[in-house]
Amino acid sequence: MRSIDSRRGVLAGIFGATLALTACGGPSESAASSASSAVRISAGVDDCGKGWASPHGGRQTFELHNTTVAGEEVHLENAATGALYLDVESLGADARQQATVTLGNGTYRFVCLPSDGEAALGAKVTITGSKDVAGATPPLKPVTRNELIPALKSYQTWVRGRLPVLQTQVQQLETDLKAGDLASARASWLAAHQTYETLGAAYGAFGDLDGAINGLPAPGKTARQDHHLEGFHRIEALLYGGAPASDITPYASRLVRSVSDLRSAFVSGRVDPVDIGLRSHEILENALEFELTGRTDAGSHTALATVDANLTGTREALEPLRTILAERYPDLAATERALDTSQHLIRTFQGADGEWTPLSALTRSQREKVNAQIDATLELLAPVAAICDPRRTS
Amino acid sequence: MRRDPEVTGVSRRNLLGGAAAGAVAVAAGSTLLPRSASAATDTASHQYAFEGVHQRGILTPAQAQASYVALDVTASSKAELVDLFRTITSTARSLTKGGTPPDTGLATPPSDSGVLGPVVPSDGLTITTSVGASLFDDRFGLADRKPARLRRMEDFPNDDLDRAVCDGDLLLQICGHHQDTTLHALREITRATRGAMQVRWRRDGFHSPPRPAGSSRNLMGFRDGTANPSTADASLMNQLVWTRSGGDEPDWVDGGSYHVVRQIRMLVEFWDRISIREQENIFGRRRDSGAPLTGSKEHDVPDYAADPSGEVIQMDAHIRLANPHTAHAKKQQILRRGYNYDGGTDANGNLDMGLIFTCFNADLERQFVAIQKRLADEPLVDYVSPFGGGYFFALPGVRDHQDWLGRRLLT
Repeated sequence: MRSIDSRRGVLAGIFGATLALTACGGPSESAASSASSAVRISAGVDDCGKGWASPHGGRQTFELHNTTVAGEEVHLENAATGALYLDVESLGADARQQATVTLGNGTYRFVCLPSDGEAALGAKVTITGSKDVAGATPPLKPVTRNELIPALKSYQTWVRGRLPVLQTQVQQLETDLKAGDLASARASWLAAHQTYETLGAAYGAFGDLDGAINGLPAPGKTARQDHHLEGFHRIEALLYGGAPASDITPYASRLVRSVSDLRSAFVSGRVDPVDIGLRSHEILENALEFELTGRTDAGSHTALATVDANLTGTREALEPLRTILAERYPDLAATERALDTSQHLIRTFQGADGEWTPLSALTRSQREKVNAQIDATLELLAPVAAICDPRRTS
Repeated sequence: MRRDPEVTGVSRRNLLGGAAAGAVAVAAGSTLLPRSASAATDTASHQYAFEGVHQRGILTPAQAQASYVALDVTASSKAELVDLFRTITSTARSLTKGGTPPDTGLATPPSDSGVLGPVVPSDGLTITTSVGASLFDDRFGLADRKPARLRRMEDFPNDDLDRAVCDGDLLLQICGHHQDTTLHALREITRATRGAMQVRWRRDGFHSPPRPAGSSRNLMGFRDGTANPSTADASLMNQLVWTRSGGDEPDWVDGGSYHVVRQIRMLVEFWDRISIREQENIFGRRRDSGAPLTGSKEHDVPDYAADPSGEVIQMDAHIRLANPHTAHAKKQQILRRGYNYDGGTDANGNLDMGLIFTCFNADLERQFVAIQKRLADEPLVDYVSPFGGGYFFALPGVRDHQDWLGRRLLT
């Protein structure tokens, strides 16, 4: 720290600047001015979009007022293409909400979508004389539920096709254990677990059955200590922790039943179209949070095998969305390349004998490289869920 | 972008020294180091010009908060490394300026974390980017571009370095008037550069207000940095802080500075159990006033001529070893810019707190290393434990809106 005297010297030298500075507006002023300049828009059924007088290009804030008696959703769309600039969801009765957007020349309109009724279209508003607006809000062609349904069906068909494979693999695990063949049981465990990890069960997608099949030990306990734990990780702890085959067999039999239950549930269960977009980034988010930190490892040291399976699962979730994304996501090709690069990198840690390198055996720079690659892939996947969030258009 | 032409204009006129530009912000708050909650609105618009001969955060008066983040580059080619430095530059430029983050529409998550609200204030933010010796290994073909004195920080005799929290290809020293500002900057920079670098270690620090006046106190209760050279003295800064090309230094280093960071745990429970007399003898200064034991006020110069055998300031007192005030020692002076840290508790319930020792110097060997060697086995070492940090080189400043950090190193 400098001496007091030298500080005084510096301060005296720029005194003029001090005056200029203190005269400037602070952030509170600018906030106030943006509030007062907000264009008040009525967003009712009969008066949707009313209030947009003297339209102009550039950055602007609207204050949307829901004048109906129920919740609604309000869009600002391109009147020619239907592409959206704003989508204010869950606007309560009589609530006001500000939304900021930057617009160039074009014809726009508000669309008000009451939760219990049909869309009301606002009057068309044309902005002219604002060529080359900097930082204009990019429009999004909305994705509807109906558009997502074929993608969802295609994904579900793939998952449904994998469940019999999974069932065969867990049955093989049970057979190996009944035969007392621990080496084969370990190979069967890994094959079955990798298959399950491709299915996109991340963050509760399979509900309670995921807990029975692939649950983690209770906080403060290991998979070996937690006697309430069942499924892959309980079996892993026993299989790689020196337990006799006869102690493990009952857990394998239960796993076979749980997988069978999953098959039944999957046939009858309905999946929300919103899930497919979420799935395509959550599988890998889950891998980063639980696998690449080593948290799920119960002794097999196969976290990287799991990540490999998660990458396969991510591609399978993304695949049926390609048509939807092709015209909406400029980085789709980059995203697919990142998935390829990630999988290639992860597979460099599998030896010719099929053995996976334990996470803990990676050098610091190898681990940084893996984390960086998965991180970068996740950034690219993040817009997929935003784009594929189903939106109403009528 | 909300931007204040006056601030930028004044700062640009003061490009000759970060100190003057730095003082703009300080003066505007009419308090030397604004840090209280009520100061938030006063400091929000404080803006340090991003461009200049030198980077900010070196001569800039210490802001209240700092985030130190060492990173390893994971980019796999020289071209990707160039992209990384360009991205750090553009992100740091917009963060330090403040303004409204871009609207990326409905097709993406929000472009900004929103931690600082819809309009990002400058809040005295400075982002100082430095490079470590490991960046000059065989990955990017930079071996012959390495600053001559830059190397992996050695273990000094009393160190207990954990290499997991040492070194790094890059160091970002992010300082601002509030912690939300520094953490926001950290999040936005790591997001913008995702995939090209990974955090290796990090440590947040705070700069204590004057208690009641004078230099800021460290967590041993003593004032820190009293003997710093004056940052207002440009020719002194040229001698002591700014590295020059020529000799064995490569051609790109002008305006940069060797940046030393050492994470030093203070064993505060032990320290609090020793007498004030012992504490003051260890440092050679009075705890309350900061005065050398030979003097009366903080900035009195220690009078070793009148105390040749250490009757007053013992021969191995910290200040006497660090700066014996000889003609030779004048050239060894460093510019200290440390922050206190609070790291929670350790396994036996002792408080983990200490100092993020930080200094800038023109010549690492002639200055920091020479001083540090003299300090070996000083009595203070029983009460502190250096465990992390590293040697870095703060890149020269970004000259104009076309320029980017590391351009002269990489092109």
